Amino acid sequence: MLTSSIVRGQYYLMHENNPIISLDDPILITGSNGFIGSRVVETLLRYGCSNLRCFVRPSSNLTSLYTVLATFPKVRVELIQGNLLSHEDCENAAKDVTVIFHMAAGIEKTFPGAFMNSVVTTRNLLDAVVRFGTLRRFVNVSSFAVYSNWNLKRGELLDETCEIESRLVERAEAYTFAKLKQDELVLEYAQKYSIPYVTLRPGAVYGPGSHQMTGRVGINTFGLFLHLGGSNRIPLTYVDNCAEAIVLAGIKQGVDGEVFNVVDDDLLTSRQFLRLYKKHGRRFRSIYVPYRLFYFCCYLWEKYSKWSQSQLLPVFNRRRCATYWKGNRYSNQKLKELLGWKPAVPFVEASQRYFEYVRRTGEDHA
Amino acid sequence: MLKVAIVGCGKVADQHAEQIFRIPDCKIIAVCDREELMAKQLQERLNVQFCFTDVQELLDKAKPDVVHITTPPQSHYTLGKLCLEAGCCVYIEKPFTVHAAEAEELIALAEQKNLKLTVGHDEQFTHAAMRMRQLIKDGYLGGAPVHLESYNGYSLEDASYAKGVLGDPDHWVRKLPGGLLQNNISHGISKVAEFLQSDSPTVFAYGFTSPFLRSIGETEIIDELRVIIHDGASTAYFTFSSQMRPILRQIRLYGPKNGLIVDTGQQTVIKTKGAQYKIHLEQFIPPWDYAKQYIANFRENVQKFLMADLHMDHGKKNLMELFYGSIAYSLSIPISYREILLTSRIMDEIFSQLGSAHCAGQSYIPPVGASA
Repeated sequence: MLTSSIVRGQYYLMHENNPIISLDDPILITGSNGFIGSRVVETLLRYGCSNLRCFVRPSSNLTSLYTVLATFPKVRVELIQGNLLSHEDCENAAKDVTVIFHMAAGIEKTFPGAFMNSVVTTRNLLDAVVRFGTLRRFVNVSSFAVYSNWNLKRGELLDETCEIESRLVERAEAYTFAKLKQDELVLEYAQKYSIPYVTLRPGAVYGPGSHQMTGRVGINTFGLFLHLGGSNRIPLTYVDNCAEAIVLAGIKQGVDGEVFNVVDDDLLTSRQFLRLYKKHGRRFRSIYVPYRLFYFCCYLWEKYSKWSQSQLLPVFNRRRCATYWKGNRYSNQKLKELLGWKPAVPFVEASQRYFEYVRRTGEDHA
Repeated sequence: MLKVAIVGCGKVADQHAEQIFRIPDCKIIAVCDREELMAKQLQERLNVQFCFTDVQELLDKAKPDVVHITTPPQSHYTLGKLCLEAGCCVYIEKPFTVHAAEAEELIALAEQKNLKLTVGHDEQFTHAAMRMRQLIKDGYLGGAPVHLESYNGYSLEDASYAKGVLGDPDHWVRKLPGGLLQNNISHGISKVAEFLQSDSPTVFAYGFTSPFLRSIGETEIIDELRVIIHDGASTAYFTFSSQMRPILRQIRLYGPKNGLIVDTGQQTVIKTKGAQYKIHLEQFIPPWDYAKQYIANFRENVQKFLMADLHMDHGKKNLMELFYGSIAYSLSIPISYREILLTSRIMDEIFSQLGSAHCAGQSYIPPVGASA
């Protein structure tokens, strides 16, 4: 069963994708033990790639990665433990690789912490890449949140051509700030050293392995779940579908310098998703807060924060409110046209797997 | 207008910058970090004029009046010395230096150059700590403390600090002689040092790795510490714990007449009266009195919040304001050099005792009568 799946994957990789690499070329995956990273490893193995190098932190919980590797016992996978803040570790990791799937990111809440673990690490990795000169593609996994919909109307299309947020400090989002700076750095290195790269911006990734419900549905604050998404479409992408898009972006010819947003087909509204979550996952109480009311609350919070010199940090602010809860339409047209991607797992099946995981693990919903 | 520079652009630098912005008559003019990207991100976010990767260059070109050193402790001494030699007053984040000998040198240099120097023991400048100091000044304890208890709780669940240390075998915190303890206990030790009368108290330290850390395979980090300090007149207990709940940030002072319980986490000051009541009144009056005091503390905190004066780092702001005031108006420094040195010496002694025990592969159990 597994063998035939690999054979199918190999055929797909070699004959339908016009790949920039062969199956035994060395590939580096950073953040390979993460929620998306382990699925990227799985997808690469399913495609028949036989020379993977998985970079993990010494302290990482490797359960999900080991689970994946256990299903491909005959494939050689090199596990490198290290810290991307170390130039030496980066050089060990990047030596002779042809493709890098860079998914390691700083998830700290402070600006310097997130910046250091996303931007400085990426710079170190790119320096190593420049030194070896063997790279054919750097896959930069960014975030959907770097876009600004400030000048978009509710319901307007948000795609790869939309403007990037220029006031992230005001939005008080350390992670997104770091991701945006990471994107800028990758672009700078690509221009300076002719590094071929692709940037992916996944939407709200869900699936077994992560209990977190996307904040685009709502937030759990002071013990109460505020449903803020209402009738907005949520840019959901199932983790396996997202991983496949990332892998395709790393191997397909002719997409250098492109940016791809990753969202699935048939996107549900926030209300539909929440209803399904409560019905099939976990039950909890929520209160619907209309967008305009919450926007006004954010305005008040922002003003208070400014008046009080950040006695309460401006975590709720109008720009952030607009980004997550204003409501836009999303497109995966570019992904389909240039990468030939389609969501392999349809929502019905994806949601079944996800809700079963939520039920089984019984973790908190937010 | 005081010109301020920040050296070290990590997480602590952000905390400093936030408070500096709240203080009138001072301006951050330059930031510096050996890692250029880190320096630039802070410069961009704070909209600061200069950005450097070399401290000497910062001192030469930006010519700040005050330098905040927010780098890992291993570089505090060298950077502090550079800044003092360049004629700048210096605010050094805790712990002041790695060893007491370095602290002595820095203080001597500051005195020789007639410059001001302080350490980031900001918990002693929270509203509650200031109220405590005023009560003591007014004679509430009835004399010097007979006994002190300082509790320094710590959470290993903090994603940005503790998890970073636990997850990285090469983390700079692990390379300090006192490891995790050295980066954290100076707040609690300095609270005791403020009231000790001898410059060379006797110290007994006992430390160990908590069962929790051992259960996840950690054997190097000592995260539980108990210390007894005796200076001839007063005694003190110091407790550092990552496992004890609630996570206390507290000092208890017992004078010859009355006592005080000061919680710098909850911002409460509770007066414990020495007088005893007859028969059952002892069970009625003190609880009633405590209830009233807690309500008064609640009211005070709410008032301060409404007046926008209860920031998470308000102790830092108070300390900085006093330090800047001491520079601008030639006033006395907010933390005495004696207290800084005594804190350093006590910490040196603790790590020396724990280090000997660690080399011997066991937790330290002091011999009877062991002294500093």
